[in-house]
Amino acid sequence: MEEIKADILILGSGGAGLFAALHAYDSNPRLKIVLATKGLIGKCGCSRMVQGGYNVVLDPKDSVELHFKDTIKGGAFINNQELAWTLVNDAPKRIHEMETKIGCFFDRREDGRIHQKPFAGQSFDRTVHRGDLTGIEIIARATDQVFARDITVLEETRGLELLTNSNGDRVVGALLMNIRTGQFIVVNAKAVIVATGGSASMYKISAPSFDKTGDGMAMCWRAGAEFVDMEMLQFHPTGLLAGKSRLSGSVLEEGLRGAGGRLYNAIGERFMERYDPERLERSTRDRVARAGYMEIMAGRGTPAGGVLLDMSHLGAEFVESKFPGMCERVRDIGKDLAREPVEVSPTAHFQMGGVRIDVNCYSSLKGLFVAGEDAGGVHGANRLGGNGIADSTVFGARAGDAAAEFAQSQDWVPVDQVQVKMFTNNVLKFFGRADGPDVYQLRDELKNLMWEKVGVVRTGQKLEQALKRLAEMSEEVERAKLPTGSLRGYNLALNEILNLRNQLVVAQLVAASALYRKESRGSHYREDFPETDNQNWLCNIFMRKKGDGYFIETRPVKLTRLRPEDVAAK
Amino acid sequence: MTLNVKVFRFNPETDKMPRFDTFKIEEFPNMAVLDVVMNIQNYHDPTLAYRCSCRIGMCGSCAMYINGRPRLACRTQVSSLGTKDITIMPLPNLPIIRDLAVDMEPFFEKYKKIKPYLIPKQDLKEPVICKPDSGERELIDYMLECITCGACYGACTMVATDPHYLGPAALTRAYCLIADKRDAATRERLVIVEQSEGVWRCHTQFNCAEVCPKKIVPTQAIQQLKKRCVFKRLGLFRG
Ligand SMILES: Cc1cc2nc3c(=O)[nH]c(=O)nc-3n(C[C@H](O)[C@H](O)[C@H](O)COP(=O)(O)OP(=O)(O)OC[C@H]3O[C@@H](n4cnc5c(N)ncnc54)[C@H](O)[C@@H]3O)c2cc1C
Ligand code: SF4
Ligand code: FES
Repeated sequence: MEEIKADILILGSGGAGLFAALHAYDSNPRLKIVLATKGLIGKCGCSRMVQGGYNVVLDPKDSVELHFKDTIKGGAFINNQELAWTLVNDAPKRIHEMETKIGCFFDRREDGRIHQKPFAGQSFDRTVHRGDLTGIEIIARATDQVFARDITVLEETRGLELLTNSNGDRVVGALLMNIRTGQFIVVNAKAVIVATGGSASMYKISAPSFDKTGDGMAMCWRAGAEFVDMEMLQFHPTGLLAGKSRLSGSVLEEGLRGAGGRLYNAIGERFMERYDPERLERSTRDRVARAGYMEIMAGRGTPAGGVLLDMSHLGAEFVESKFPGMCERVRDIGKDLAREPVEVSPTAHFQMGGVRIDVNCYSSLKGLFVAGEDAGGVHGANRLGGNGIADSTVFGARAGDAAAEFAQSQDWVPVDQVQVKMFTNNVLKFFGRADGPDVYQLRDELKNLMWEKVGVVRTGQKLEQALKRLAEMSEEVERAKLPTGSLRGYNLALNEILNLRNQLVVAQLVAASALYRKESRGSHYREDFPETDNQNWLCNIFMRKKGDGYFIETRPVKLTRLRPEDVAAK
Repeated sequence: MTLNVKVFRFNPETDKMPRFDTFKIEEFPNMAVLDVVMNIQNYHDPTLAYRCSCRIGMCGSCAMYINGRPRLACRTQVSSLGTKDITIMPLPNLPIIRDLAVDMEPFFEKYKKIKPYLIPKQDLKEPVICKPDSGERELIDYMLECITCGACYGACTMVATDPHYLGPAALTRAYCLIADKRDAATRERLVIVEQSEGVWRCHTQFNCAEVCPKKIVPTQAIQQLKKRCVFKRLGLFRG
């Protein structure tokens, strides 16, 4: 088995993984940095797919205090305020770095300065962008910079498990698998940065890229890291509906609503008038997504199960010039975004919950750093559009800096070969198994189950049913058949089994935490507890593995900078 | 409607010769070729290898040779092909890992040769002020949309005949940096692209532009580079 010794191992090449690599390298070019990523570098993950843009305070009329307040309000006050404060303060530094060092070039306004556009849930137009396909510019340029540095890149190589010391309190590396060859790789690292993105793909209608299947979160869970607010999963209000095509669920960006796009139900009512008369379509994602879902459930949806997004009143020329990428996408399904209403549905988009970290991305396990969507706490109960890519670049950079410092002061802790053997066996066992549950059937079932029972609107009863079935499915996936003979390399069916195994871990955390939070807040909506209950639930939910089960508890939110009263008073 | 899908199969480790497998697939509305491929792999033959990630034309992972031309599988609607007979092959001019998955390394090796990363000028301290109508960014802005999918590389007859030719995407990136006023290494890059495997290999056949899913015209970038190379020879290049 191939063994690599590295100072820092990074899993994932989205915004968080790439910025971690660049920052770790630039803090100390002598460090040996290995970046392993499931797809091709810079081509996988959701950072690449960022459309709308990046929230950042650049205009003197704007302020970090305002951005912070919007973020906390959007997050329904359960954000970790120190993380959110770090986000808004570091974002300008990252945009500055991108423009002057990394080589990104964002759209300009008439006077030649960086243009900022309106996004929902924000008190100032602060979203930096490149047209409506911003992620390509950020991720392609950051990838170019990785090419300029002596960083070992392992493409189409997936993290399988984190390796720990005998006490289980120190991460000492990770077991990887080269997808092309099917061979295992052991990396012994002083620090591991997990940046593999979330698991929203476990829903029937979902937005993320296919390579994101909760791997990092599941690995961190199995290794024993502490998690926070796993019930918080965001649905984007305007996912394109395209029937059985995999295009379904892909996001029509936030800026459309920002620019004045309207939502109608099938009987022609502009339904946001009922749900948020003040902000209408520019309300926060959680509200708009829920409103759309409720309309559909109440029988006021289109036959295909959607509502209608209409841009036509803004003028076809305007829509086509401002949103060429979105127009093109809609054209793929034979519709004209600039001239006619388009069917949309809420789509599972982003996980606010994740591994608990501090402002330097330290997790509860020594040697384990987590950044981007895998980490929790920054966005509280709901993420503002434009704060996601800001999060991954800000905390990716911090994780890189922190891990570099950590690695310089630490020695390698040897890998436990028994543990490696156990983990490899747990993959090898599938080979040659001709009978057993079919992974694609199980996957489709998971997507439906999550959509129906752990989705936009939840109840205690549905969540309990989901948990029961998820536990059974976790056993079934271990018995899945692998009808691909002796094929090792590029075995997509094997990878699907490994994906599903991880998605099931994350799914159970989401459902268990959702069952625990007996109130509605942000993107977590309980039909049986429809009110937000600040008396009892202004708190975060923490989970840790305990034996085969888990330990769960709440701790009050630390309102270090802003309290609900401060906002209400104004 | 049933689609007749012929899929190229080849495992370089075990097969002497490639073969085609045929699948009958039910068409559904809005079906993209990527849907067809996934359908085959999920429900008909789990051993099929292919690559994709974003499924919305942003990552450039899924370029394949579909009915005789390089295209993104995710952005090629079955209905746009005008036939129920679909032949899917890997992207040409690249080594095959297995079936439809190619090794992009030679493509990226050349991309890396032109130093694709900004090397910022010393005095670049703040984001540059640049009016949208100043013409300062010339043609670069739309070319930055390149998703390095390799479709142009697969379509280029010059790449096919000269495996060392840098190819359309790498040269397009070189142009974007050479024309970028923030960059300090423009001359260095010009030296790279003017060599024998560089811009002069392009015979302006526009194959690249015809297949680019982002509607980029690499030929245009290459012509701009040629112009600058000539200026440089004449001692007139300022950059
Ligand atoms: C369609 C869409 C549009 C969006 N638009 C916006 C927007 O306009 N503004 C905004 O702020 N946010 C937006 N977001 C959210 C934003 O993309 C995320 O917040 C952010 O990109 C997450 O970054 P990340 O680095 O954590 O993860 P990602 O960018 O998703 O990267 C994860 C990486 O980990 C890799 N990986 C996965 N599993 C493994 C494994 N086992 N081993 C190794 N590597 C692995 C993946 O292949 C990938 O490289 C959008 C998201 C989507 C899906
Ligand atoms: S120039 Fe066009 S075809 Fe070539 S790699 Fe870029 S996007 Fe693909
Ligand atoms: S899958 Fe990303 S471009 Fe096709």
